[in-house]
Amino acid sequence: MKIVVLVKYVPEPTATWKFAPDHTLDRSAVDGRLSELDEYAVEQAVRLVESGAASEVTYITVGPDKARDGLQKALAIGGTAAIHVSDEAMHGSDSVATSLVLAKAVERVGADLVLTGLGSTDAEMSVIPSMVADRLGFHQATFAGELTVDGGSVSISRTTDAGTERVTAALPAVVSITDQTPEARYPAFRAIMMAKKKPVERLTLADLGVDASAVGLAAAGTQVLSITPSPARAAGTVVTDDGTGAAQLADFLAGRGHL
Amino acid sequence: MLTARLVIGLAMTVVLLGIAGARLRYLWRLGSAAQPIEPGRRTSTGEIAKAELVEVVAQRKLFQWTGAGLAHAAVFWGFCVLLLTIVEGFGSLFTPTFQLPVIGNWPALGFFEDLFALLCVAAIVAFTIIRIRQSPRTEGRKSRFFGSHLGPAWFVLFMIFNVVWTLLIARGAQINAQEVNTTDRLPFLRGAFASQWFASLLEPLGRHTNEILETVFLLLALAVLLGFTVFVTYSKHLHILLSLPNVGLARRPRALGALLPVYSSGKEVDFEDPGEDDLMGVGKVEDFTWKGLLDFGTCTECGRCQSQCPAWNTGKPLSPKVLMMTLRDHALAKAPYLTASEEARAGLTPEQQAVATLPLVGPTGYAVEDPLAAYTASGPVAVIDPDVLWSCTTCGACVEQCPVDIEHVDHIVDMRRHQVLMESAFPEEASVMLNNLEHAADPWGRGASHRLDWAESLDFEVRVFGAAGEERIPDDVDYLFWVGCAGALDETAMRTTRAVATLLHEASVEFMVLGDGEACTGDPARRMGHEFLFQMLAQQNVETLNTAGARRIVVTCAHCFNTLANEYPQVGGHYEVVHHSTLLARLVAEGRLTPVAEVSSSVTYHDPCYLGRHNRIFSAPREVLGAVPGLRLTELPRNRERSFCCGAGGARMWMDENLGQRINVVRTDEALSVRPDVIAAACPFCITMLGDGVAQRQVEGTAAAGIEVVDIADVLLRSIRPDLTTDPVTTQGQQP
Repeated sequence: MKIVVLVKYVPEPTATWKFAPDHTLDRSAVDGRLSELDEYAVEQAVRLVESGAASEVTYITVGPDKARDGLQKALAIGGTAAIHVSDEAMHGSDSVATSLVLAKAVERVGADLVLTGLGSTDAEMSVIPSMVADRLGFHQATFAGELTVDGGSVSISRTTDAGTERVTAALPAVVSITDQTPEARYPAFRAIMMAKKKPVERLTLADLGVDASAVGLAAAGTQVLSITPSPARAAGTVVTDDGTGAAQLADFLAGRGHL
Repeated sequence: MLTARLVIGLAMTVVLLGIAGARLRYLWRLGSAAQPIEPGRRTSTGEIAKAELVEVVAQRKLFQWTGAGLAHAAVFWGFCVLLLTIVEGFGSLFTPTFQLPVIGNWPALGFFEDLFALLCVAAIVAFTIIRIRQSPRTEGRKSRFFGSHLGPAWFVLFMIFNVVWTLLIARGAQINAQEVNTTDRLPFLRGAFASQWFASLLEPLGRHTNEILETVFLLLALAVLLGFTVFVTYSKHLHILLSLPNVGLARRPRALGALLPVYSSGKEVDFEDPGEDDLMGVGKVEDFTWKGLLDFGTCTECGRCQSQCPAWNTGKPLSPKVLMMTLRDHALAKAPYLTASEEARAGLTPEQQAVATLPLVGPTGYAVEDPLAAYTASGPVAVIDPDVLWSCTTCGACVEQCPVDIEHVDHIVDMRRHQVLMESAFPEEASVMLNNLEHAADPWGRGASHRLDWAESLDFEVRVFGAAGEERIPDDVDYLFWVGCAGALDETAMRTTRAVATLLHEASVEFMVLGDGEACTGDPARRMGHEFLFQMLAQQNVETLNTAGARRIVVTCAHCFNTLANEYPQVGGHYEVVHHSTLLARLVAEGRLTPVAEVSSSVTYHDPCYLGRHNRIFSAPREVLGAVPGLRLTELPRNRERSFCCGAGGARMWMDENLGQRINVVRTDEALSVRPDVIAAACPFCITMLGDGVAQRQVEGTAAAGIEVVDIADVLLRSIRPDLTTDPVTTQGQQP
């Protein structure tokens, strides 16, 4: 069984983000990393190989030159090979365009199971898994808290507000993995070094047969009009219990409409 | 008879020295299978001579413990003097009238020989008392001898006793065997009072019998001595031979402070482009350098290290002594394999093959109540348990004590390096810290954007490098203030940072901070064994500091201080680094800071390991506290060189502490025992650990509510700016 994991190279969540005049994120002004949420999908894929359920894992990312670092990190955790789609024309692409490119790349590699994180830590759209599944005509099972592969199907547990569901889908399928699954292992230095020898194929839109006019800022379905930083979190209110602590607390909650 | 005794004496010597020599040659071959020593370990002849004089001849470290130190010195100096009697003994095998050249039979010679022989006996009595009073049978793991080989230790004492009495009887008989009124056959003229006493006892037996006795006991004395030599080469008592080279090759001034870089085949590993076969730390016993094996072989199992170790003393399985013993025993068990040629290895027994492939670190299945089971030199599963390796706080108490300069901390870190870099095997909770360092450059994962938060509430402006467009630190800046991750991001440590900044401001010291340009120095990564991450962070910081033209740096964190001052020179960063306690003490001494307000508190001071033992800064913090009027300083029972760790070092701050008692609570209880109002320290991690300990005891009701844990700068500030310290100190440290 072949697994493809779709991963994203995102700006460091703890860093200060800067934006370019066209309101896209200035990727050169901030360090990046493999999205923490995607690391869970990487770990699940590597475990499937270790358990013998899968034979190989290929990572696919779409992103700038430095996104290669994210692939290297994933390859250090495990896996076989990676594909890095990088093209100037992708600048400013929305999820619709990104899913198109990812789906083309998956078709090129061929996959029985496509894994993704539950969303990215930058844009947080969380729609890519469904969009890619739709484009590929694969089944989809999202928000997996557990994952098992049995013959021709994949089973997940999926915890929602209503309860925990067990969902089974026939392969080929797209599964998004949540942070309820085990954290990715910490790669040893030896693994980081070995990852440098694993093949990383770099592709352009032309290689994938995607028309540049279908992607990029101009083709995006939405337009960012302005960006305002979220206000810094104000200090909390400290209730000092002078005997009326409970009443003060109740007043505070009532004042916010919580009581 | 004289011919017979010459033949027997020489035959005995050849056979026994031959056995000992063969053993030593075997050990030499074992050492040759290990890694070469690091460059720079061989210092100048002068340095080595000084070390041998101070550490061996003058027994410096042994005298850290008066009673046991005196006893050992008596035996050591005794044996040095008794070496003369051995020369005399061998001489008299050939020439019955042998006397030492030059010295001849000077009366003082006889006197000193006999005096030291008796001192040896006195020392044996002292050792016997020590061993009975501190017997593991009654004291359990509190005994420093717990885990040591007790049988061989008693045998050594017995053999020393045998050396002395056989010698004295031989010498007594020798006196009686003289021609009347001549002393031709004596190596001593007079003064050998003990020998003379034995002579008076033996005299009634007559001259002829005494002649026989002389020969018999001379041969017996030599046999005992030679037998003892053979025993030494097969036992923990090898230190008699090995401590000289071990001390001569030890890191000077001590194996504390900086850690050594990772070496493979004697060359520093380049983490940017490592060689295909480079060793990354120690994964097999032969990955240690031969100096490492020399350390293990030199260990005398005295247990001074064990008695001081914070891990061992809080019920954890790590004993530096048992670790050294186990590595030695494992090296010896693996020796048939290591000393064999490739072809000969196939012919080894299955047991020898099994030991050869035994992992150095792995779960042994020991129970906490049976710590010695965490050490299995010959397997079956692994040599030492991971809990042994990860219990170490790198506090250096073991290295400080070791009379033969064993470098325990270096060995532990080397084994951690292999576990982390090659196996990715370490307490998993620490990966949060490692990931945070990698991604946010601080252990909490807060990110650089918060690194100036501490300065917001100050009533003066803190100069931030680059804020005014400067590319180099301006000339009017006296110090670059390295705030550190804790100092910038931990609530309690931010108080210290503000206190130091305010005091520098009060003293008109111009300082500047790097703000978001700082990254973690890499200390926790390095001490966990993650040398790669340390190198990345260190290179990043050195580049920042060198680009800014930093020359003088003041730092509040003892760990940052150690790394900046002692380890950054390894990566091209050479700065004059001063700890805030030193700078504040200087400013007070120079009158630039004048403590005026009375602080009528009882204060005790906890020596942070990385300030004290690792960097010998003991007096500056005490001078700062001593300058505060009204303050009463009480020393902790364990202070200065023997300070007891807070539990946070060696990246233990970022790991769970589930085995035994909590180190910070044990230290807190010690501090509370001197009934302080304030527990002062000079390291943010100590303050967090002791603060947690005090908070726990306060919740449990065993510590008074008002007890605070603060930095010495905070205490000084109360005397200089009493208007500022109005808010109560939070003793609850921020949990990672």
